[in-house]
Amino acid sequence: MYYPEPISKLIDSFTKLPGIGPKTAVRLAFFVLNMKEEDVLDFAKALVSAKRELTHCQICGNITDQDPCAICQDQSRDQTIICVVQDPKDVIAMEKMREYNGLYHILNGAISPIDGIGPEDINVPSLLDRLKDERVSELILATNPNVEGEATAMYISRLVKPSGIKTTRIAHGLPMGGDLEYADEVTLSKALEGRREL
Amino acid sequence: MYIKNLKLLHYRNYDELDLIFDNGINVIIGENAQGKTNLMEAIYLLAFTRSYRTSKDKELIQWDQNYAKIEGTIIKRNQQFPLEIQLSSKGKKAKLNHLEQRRLSDYIGALNVVMFAPEDLNLVKGNPQVRRRFIDMEIGQIQPVYIYHLGQYQKILKQRNHLLKSLQRKQTDNLIMLDVLTEQLIEHACIVIEKRFIFLELLRHWAIQIHKRISQEREQLEINYQATIDVLETDNKEKISNIYLEKFKQNRHKEIERGTTLYGPHRDDLIFFINQRDVQKYGSQGQQRTTALSLKLAEIELIKQEVGEYPVLLLDDVLSELDQYRQSHLLDTIQGKVQTFVSTTSVSDVKHETIEKAELFYVENGTIPDQKRG
Repeated sequence: MYYPEPISKLIDSFTKLPGIGPKTAVRLAFFVLNMKEEDVLDFAKALVSAKRELTHCQICGNITDQDPCAICQDQSRDQTIICVVQDPKDVIAMEKMREYNGLYHILNGAISPIDGIGPEDINVPSLLDRLKDERVSELILATNPNVEGEATAMYISRLVKPSGIKTTRIAHGLPMGGDLEYADEVTLSKALEGRREL
Repeated sequence: MYIKNLKLLHYRNYDELDLIFDNGINVIIGENAQGKTNLMEAIYLLAFTRSYRTSKDKELIQWDQNYAKIEGTIIKRNQQFPLEIQLSSKGKKAKLNHLEQRRLSDYIGALNVVMFAPEDLNLVKGNPQVRRRFIDMEIGQIQPVYIYHLGQYQKILKQRNHLLKSLQRKQTDNLIMLDVLTEQLIEHACIVIEKRFIFLELLRHWAIQIHKRISQEREQLEINYQATIDVLETDNKEKISNIYLEKFKQNRHKEIERGTTLYGPHRDDLIFFINQRDVQKYGSQGQQRTTALSLKLAEIELIKQEVGEYPVLLLDDVLSELDQYRQSHLLDTIQGKVQTFVSTTSVSDVKHETIEKAELFYVENGTIPDQKRG
């Protein structure tokens, strides 16, 4: 099928997005043709500014429009605790909770030798630099509870241990408000392992 | 437990099939390439969600169709359970009680199947991989959580091997990461090996006495677990973990030099002895076959003991591979308690009352025209 060049370029651009196949890309591209010109312009501007105006915070690695990011600049936050997460989206999840008032460090990935991702490919070196600040007294490792996330947490804790900074790993276990009977065996056994005295 | 009925849709060379089975012996008769084994495979798939013949689901779907479906009703503890497997280019769905089960470990174990095919006669003679798959599959169906731990183990193993390769090629010098992956590997290795030890103890209990009976008290079977470390089956997890840790520590250079993980359950093996002699090396073909048969029969008893009901037995083209004596021993054992599916090109050479009473299904080019009684 022949498309005029502008539209085939647009289709091509849409297919670069995750979860968009050729058919959806065609549908989206034709939809754009029928959109109001100002909406299309806003859309295009939003795309460009998201790319141009956002950078990674040089302290914590989070995406931000000001460097350092708002959290790192906020002196009212507890400067003695750093929570290590894999992804900027994890920060949003933590912030929604409104209970954590420390700082973050975003790794932007997890160590995975198969994918060629070593510690120097994610934000581990910058984390070690941050820990030289004597105010930091605790590091919370909140990487995902899968093989790579666990390996990353274990790796960081090994590097940090000699410095004497308290290193903790978030607990694994049952989701709140859930029923015990619906939990899978693995989660249940992890929850049992991490039981506490009341 | 037994399978009451089986429905196939667009599966291999079956377009549509709807069968009702006897809870005793069902014999599937047909010439070669008519679809006997495909039927056995369908039952196996209903139990394990995957085939033992191929890893490509596409091969299971009839060539001009884009999906296939296997449905079966099983009777377990006097209750009916519908099972369903759907295969399509988009993937696989497994339903238990009409509900989709996302995790494999939630589905496997609903139907217990013991398969005995000509390849299984190689259990003793074949390579260690065959024996490892044997124990892994069997533990998995009794204790589905084992599949999870084995999967985690294999995932970490891959990562560790990759890192060892990079270290070997001097692309990295990160030994701390190696320590981390070693620690993770050991954690899951201990669980895998511990569960294998428990399973082996149960298997031994049955296999030894069954073997004694088949060999008319002449042969004493022994099963040893050969690990890559010096470990006793009575050792606890903590001790096993320490032994592994020591082993990996001592052999770090060797592993980096070779670029692969040299120790762990993925390299373990089972060794069988008859009257203290290694069956794989010194046993006659007959002894090797008897050992394989004893193990399969032990599996049936073991599942009965652990699950509370006898599994369904699939004998794919294997009856003709056994001599008269072993044939009748096998059929005597299962008589009246285990629902069995036998595939064969002809029943005339099997002289046993169970076969004479069996339900016969004649397969012709992907159809079973009518259920004739033999």
